[in-house]
Amino acid sequence: MAMAVVTGLLGWGQGALAQDIKLGMIAGLSGFGASYGASMQQGVEMAIKEINDAGGINGRKLVEDVADDASDPAQSVLAMQRLVNDHVDIVVGGWGSSMVLANMEVAERAGMPYIVVGASNPRITTKRNKWTFRILTNDNGHAVQLADLAVQTLHMKRIAVINDSNDYGVGARDIFIARLKELDESPVDVESYGSNDKDFTAQLSHIAAANPDGIALMGTLPAVPAILNQARDQGIDARFFGPAGLSNEAMITLAPEASQHTIATAYFHEDLDPQAKAWADKYTAMFKNAAQAPRPSQAVSAYRGVYMAADCLKKVGTDKDKVRLCLKDWHGHFFGLPPADLHFDDTNQLVVPVVIEEVQGKGFAVFKPAH
Amino acid sequence: MPPQILIGGLGTGCIYALVGLGFTLVYRGIRMVNFAQGQVFMAGTFLGLFLVQTLGLSAIPLLIAVPVISFAAGWLLERIVFRRLFHSHEVFVVGAIGLGVMIENGIRAAFPEPLPFPKIFGTGVYRFIPGVLFQKTYLWIVVITILLVILLHVLFTHTRRGRALRAVASDAEIAGTMGVSVSGAIGFTFGLSFAVAAIAGILIGPLYFVSPDMGEMVGLKAFSAAVLGGINSVVGTILGGVLLGLVEAIAAFYLSTDYKDLFAFAILMLMLVVRPQGLLGRVVPVKV
Repeated sequence: MAMAVVTGLLGWGQGALAQDIKLGMIAGLSGFGASYGASMQQGVEMAIKEINDAGGINGRKLVEDVADDASDPAQSVLAMQRLVNDHVDIVVGGWGSSMVLANMEVAERAGMPYIVVGASNPRITTKRNKWTFRILTNDNGHAVQLADLAVQTLHMKRIAVINDSNDYGVGARDIFIARLKELDESPVDVESYGSNDKDFTAQLSHIAAANPDGIALMGTLPAVPAILNQARDQGIDARFFGPAGLSNEAMITLAPEASQHTIATAYFHEDLDPQAKAWADKYTAMFKNAAQAPRPSQAVSAYRGVYMAADCLKKVGTDKDKVRLCLKDWHGHFFGLPPADLHFDDTNQLVVPVVIEEVQGKGFAVFKPAH
Repeated sequence: MPPQILIGGLGTGCIYALVGLGFTLVYRGIRMVNFAQGQVFMAGTFLGLFLVQTLGLSAIPLLIAVPVISFAAGWLLERIVFRRLFHSHEVFVVGAIGLGVMIENGIRAAFPEPLPFPKIFGTGVYRFIPGVLFQKTYLWIVVITILLVILLHVLFTHTRRGRALRAVASDAEIAGTMGVSVSGAIGFTFGLSFAVAAIAGILIGPLYFVSPDMGEMVGLKAFSAAVLGGINSVVGTILGGVLLGLVEAIAAFYLSTDYKDLFAFAILMLMLVVRPQGLLGRVVPVKV
């Protein structure tokens, strides 16, 4: 990975030839989102290696240009601009709604096909989008399913909400609460925090006072496991559940006991089909000794994004407008998700299901309502 | 207000106080602000984590080993880096910030993501007041902070080395002519400031995760604490740290956690405008 970063920094100094097809990869490889960004980078690396080993794209090699946006919206704009200046043929990546909302504007202006694989705020996909496509479920999908699950399946009566105050957390919270209201429920307490906060005593004291039986947690690492640990330390034993920000194996590493039975919506589970299992095994073996431990659920979207890009690049070449039109018409299936015919809607949002999972021991298991 | 909030605020306040002491010690010695203090604190946590993982040290040996190593690192860095920056405050400040960035990124290269720190102070909770949980780690933070303040007091008032440090702080030129080794005293001061910040790093480790950016905000808050209490006063800095921790916790509970940092820095601004010498700081007359 370090090598890829260095190559990225040096632009196209080594290895890249004029006839190569350039795939830009943008994500936070530093800053608070680093643990997600590093996994995405692994997913991209794996897909590119497989594609090149199988003969490349119509005989042309696919090469990667990495741009680290430091999990910061302002830097994210510069990182995307650098990829545009580097004349990449397509961009895959984007982690964090605040970052993507900022950098997609650059892609739209530059006419750069951009496949978003790591941000779920609904505002990312609107009818205005021409060049930006998203291949994961937006927060509407996650938050509505979570509200239904909490009320109808788990029969929770006193639900508290704690959310990151960024675009991701606020977006998910608002949709979740709106859905609760449709189900004739309202949260007993709503708290928010900053992405870089370390101490959540104040929010958790409010939550403890509200005596909830379930807590919706809309956020990402490293805050999520810290909240879980501190909640248990404060004697809060309500069950936590939340959208895909929680579907990160690092959450279990950082909160091994406190995270048990936490429920998350996810973009992948290896137990859903044999292809998913085979992929997860291959991926895990490939990055077993990497600086960042392999995390299939975090790497898979980026992997899928590269294959989707390769599909279109194979069909129509590198003309950006043709690539864009090809993506709009893309139909297919993703392993590791409930079966469905996947396609983009008129906002360039892929219509794609999620899987619900639960922490059991050292990993995630597919959630079974009877549990 | 739940007493839980005050306990959290007190714990955080002690950490600000200890890291702030690093600022104070250096400021008293050379009238300059070492903005790498937050990163020294962070490096102390990583050093602690390394020693726990490789040698399996428990709490007490760790609280001896980490400050000793950090003292040596501070003394050495003063010889190699800081000493060459003393000639102007601007150069020193920029140099210190640069050093902080280097420490942070150096550690990030090896540890890119947050890591759990072992619960070296135990996982138990005390219930001195019914319904209020007092985590063992918080108790350690408070007790170690008090012990350190007593030790520093004894060092400064009852030892030859401490009196030499105070003499240099008061007037380096005259202290020098009286036979005090000024460069030795300044090296010692840097060592001490590193050691204190590193202890704060170990104390906070088990409460939160360890990550390379953990020193940024703590460093700024600790600087605010030192300015609030009086950057040339040891007692003032301790008071400033604890006050800042408590105010932050109370503001977070009653207003919003979104404005917690705003409060810390609003206090800093207010003090700089209204009482630049801080609550307990002295105005040092300019000698002509």
